[in-house]
Amino acid sequence: MDSLGVNVPAFIVVGISIVVGLLMVVVFRYTSDQRAIHVAKDHLKAHLLALRLFQDQIPVVLRSYGRILLATGRYLRLAFMPLLFVIVPLTFLIVQLDRYLGMTPIEAGHSFLVSARVADAAALTEASLQLPDGLVTTAPAVHISAENEIVWRVISARDGDYVVNVQASAQTFSKRVVVGSGLPRLSPLRLRGRFRERFFHSAEPALPENTLIEAIAVQYPARNIAFAGFEWNWIWLFFVLSLVAGFLFKSILGIEI
Amino acid sequence: MKWRCTTSVERTRLVLWLALVGLIVFIPQRAHAYAGPGAGFAVLSSFWTLFVAFLYSVYAFFVWPFRQLFRVLRRRKAYGKAQIKRAVILGFDGMDPELTERFIAEGRLPNLAKLREQGTFRKLRTTFPAISPVAWSTFLTGVNPGKHNIYDFLARDLSNYLPYLSSAEIKGPKRSLKIGKYTVPLGGPRIKGMRRGTPFWHWLGEAGIFCSVIRVPVTFPPEKFPGVLLSGMCVPDLKGSQGTFCLCTTRASGDKFREGGVRVPIERVGSIFRSYVPGPEDPLTPGSGDELRVNFEIHPAKDQARFIVDSQRFTLKVGEYSEWIPVKFKAGVGFSAHGICRFYLKELSPEVEVYVTPVNIDPGRPDLPISHPVTYSIYLAKLFGPYATLGLAEDTWALNEHVLDDDAFLAQCYANHDDRERMLFDALEKTQQGLCACVFDTTDRVQHMFWRYLDEDHPAARDVPRDQRPTVIQDLYVRMDELIGRVMKQIDDRTLLMIVSDHGFKSFARCVNLNAWLHQNGYLALKPGKTESGDWFDDVDWSRTRAYTMGLNGLYLNVKGREREGIVEPGGDADGLKDELRRKLDGLVDSASGRVGITGVFDCDAVYAGPYVDNAPDLIVGYGDGFRASWDSVMGKVTSEIFEDNLKAWSGDHCIDPRLVPGVLFCNRKIADEKPAIVDVAPTVLKLFGLALPRYLDGKPWSVGTSVAPSVAPATTP
Repeated sequence: MDSLGVNVPAFIVVGISIVVGLLMVVVFRYTSDQRAIHVAKDHLKAHLLALRLFQDQIPVVLRSYGRILLATGRYLRLAFMPLLFVIVPLTFLIVQLDRYLGMTPIEAGHSFLVSARVADAAALTEASLQLPDGLVTTAPAVHISAENEIVWRVISARDGDYVVNVQASAQTFSKRVVVGSGLPRLSPLRLRGRFRERFFHSAEPALPENTLIEAIAVQYPARNIAFAGFEWNWIWLFFVLSLVAGFLFKSILGIEI
Repeated sequence: MKWRCTTSVERTRLVLWLALVGLIVFIPQRAHAYAGPGAGFAVLSSFWTLFVAFLYSVYAFFVWPFRQLFRVLRRRKAYGKAQIKRAVILGFDGMDPELTERFIAEGRLPNLAKLREQGTFRKLRTTFPAISPVAWSTFLTGVNPGKHNIYDFLARDLSNYLPYLSSAEIKGPKRSLKIGKYTVPLGGPRIKGMRRGTPFWHWLGEAGIFCSVIRVPVTFPPEKFPGVLLSGMCVPDLKGSQGTFCLCTTRASGDKFREGGVRVPIERVGSIFRSYVPGPEDPLTPGSGDELRVNFEIHPAKDQARFIVDSQRFTLKVGEYSEWIPVKFKAGVGFSAHGICRFYLKELSPEVEVYVTPVNIDPGRPDLPISHPVTYSIYLAKLFGPYATLGLAEDTWALNEHVLDDDAFLAQCYANHDDRERMLFDALEKTQQGLCACVFDTTDRVQHMFWRYLDEDHPAARDVPRDQRPTVIQDLYVRMDELIGRVMKQIDDRTLLMIVSDHGFKSFARCVNLNAWLHQNGYLALKPGKTESGDWFDDVDWSRTRAYTMGLNGLYLNVKGREREGIVEPGGDADGLKDELRRKLDGLVDSASGRVGITGVFDCDAVYAGPYVDNAPDLIVGYGDGFRASWDSVMGKVTSEIFEDNLKAWSGDHCIDPRLVPGVLFCNRKIADEKPAIVDVAPTVLKLFGLALPRYLDGKPWSVGTSVAPSVAPATTP
């Protein structure tokens, strides 16, 4: 909620879902074989009805079931083509939205974990955490040798956009930490290499190659959005609302899905 | 801290990643779910479909033994005494035995020739009169018309001498709510079947023998029985008529079509044209004559035009049909009627003309029941797409009125026929045991409309040189033979294949206005000063009329106490009048041609027996070869001429002396009986399936050979 008591994340998700719902069905309309989808869906329904109409005849029931599987495959194949057109931009959009809506900043006065993974377990003893003003550790570092990991518990007394540094073998690696509220862009991980993981998890530059530190993570709490009496992870809410919006728009625009 | 799936944030991200992975490895469900609503719907509905299918199949598997046990316990074990595993009955409405023999002799029908050679071919005696709804009603009930109550397409209302459809009655809802000038219907229309008697597939179904029945005439409204049925002839269009086409035109004309069609203006608005498809009466203002409409636009461009009908868009060239287009007639909130129709672009320049078929009941969303169960018509629509549901789906009126030409009419016929073939082969596949019966109307419609090219000197084709006449009917028979060949490939030795027609065909070159004859011979009187009447006996003086005719073969006495203004005393007077009319009409000669126009007049008391004889005409008129009741006479009109040329495309007919137009019977087994009749089909099939015959049946089962000749396999067309 913002200062006016408005559930801003919910409004954003609703708005984006409606826009995406509209865009997606329009894209679906122009990138799919509408007639073939219509026929495939009709065949599915026909074979379903055949199960009921000819239920006393087991061979017919078996054949119909086989045809249902085939028709389902055909239908999914036809729906797959539009997917090729939307998967990249939509994935990019979702990943970017997740930076804002997937997590909440750390609340002032609440402790959180900062962890670093090193390339070699022997380097665990060399790693240390340097904190800016406003952040303090609340406990000694914990070494998890089996996973080449070192974890610090940190607390912040006030809101702020901080940079913490992990030092190892005379090298220093920074990581952004946001304490406060609102909808800042958050990056829970800073990674070395691994473009795929960075695409999905990180919003910061890659760590340098051939160094001791492989990753630095900050554990932000997941954001739950209150909507319709339930607490939602934003992506499920987006999924449901975009489906509803898509259903409405497909009916209004006469689009076959 | 875990680096994989430790928190909900991590899980969310994993889902995102799985979306891409799913896409890459072709397991698209997860990916779809996150690729917007389109793919989401696809996945959800596919899952739902499979889930429902799974439930059904499990249900069917587990319930089937109990259903079987239930049957055995009730001593209804199917096939226990059956001589056959399956009966396939193909009905070809109007297939003529003489033409068939001629084409067989010419080597054009190899499959029928093989059936004749190794199985059976007989002329099949038809009903009195030889009219499709009468004959097919007898076919399916195994009784004479006195027991099934169908004597013609039309019956007369004794209270006003007006006609009504003999097979079904459709009324508005039982209850309605009056609000100002509007009447809100509370409930659906009421449909009452007028045909009596029990179809033989009812008995088969009761015995546990599955039946698929497709488009057998006079099966509307569909009756419940353990099987599937799609209604045929007598199913109305969305207007409730037996087929009302629409000609949308920019040509100004005040003329009305004599039969079966309406003319609708097309308005020019800038570069586009606008018109509408007339639909059923507005249910909110019944009796007002207000009709519901669906508007459409035509955007012309050279030799083609783009049509916009509701949300449908399609392009037609001149001389081209659209597919079936769904149309929704809306009448206020919550009231709508769903239909389908096809558009045919007749002309774009200098005038614009579009023919629209009668608006058929949408089989995928039937507003009236046209199948049993209701889902069967939906099943067929989903499997094959929309199809004609109107009983008389081939628009003979449009060809008669020159709205369609020969080619356009034939294209319409064969499009419907192709749909019917698909339904037949699906039914054959679904009915590996039991009865599969399907009637094809194409044979009837094409012969009605193209006999003029077969006849040496038909008045409707005198301007077409013989060497330029198309071989439409010959082609029709060849096509039916090919169909039979394909069916023969689908059947085995334990399947009985029977090919039947309800009647044959003859030329219809001369019209007989029997009302004119009755008028000229003092049996029918007109009001003073009148020499002719309007339709439906307008200007007839009933107080001086002793006999009248309407419909195709029935002749009625104006009996006191029966008809509203009857004057003929029942009993002796009526019998005497019948004898007198029979004597005078039998052998009536057409002086212009020198031929006999009426070869027999039959007393209904002698040819019918049963509880509904009172509803029958008093006499059945059997016209001679080349003659039929005139178009005016059928509509209760008195003209000055008794005989006249038939100049319409409708040039062949069968509503004549039934002895002249028997149907055909082909079978893949030997049948001993020399003179089989259509009334015998039902008892024969019941007997072959080992069922006891109901006592009231009039037909007698034939002696059918126990095995099929091994060489009755489909032949190839030369």
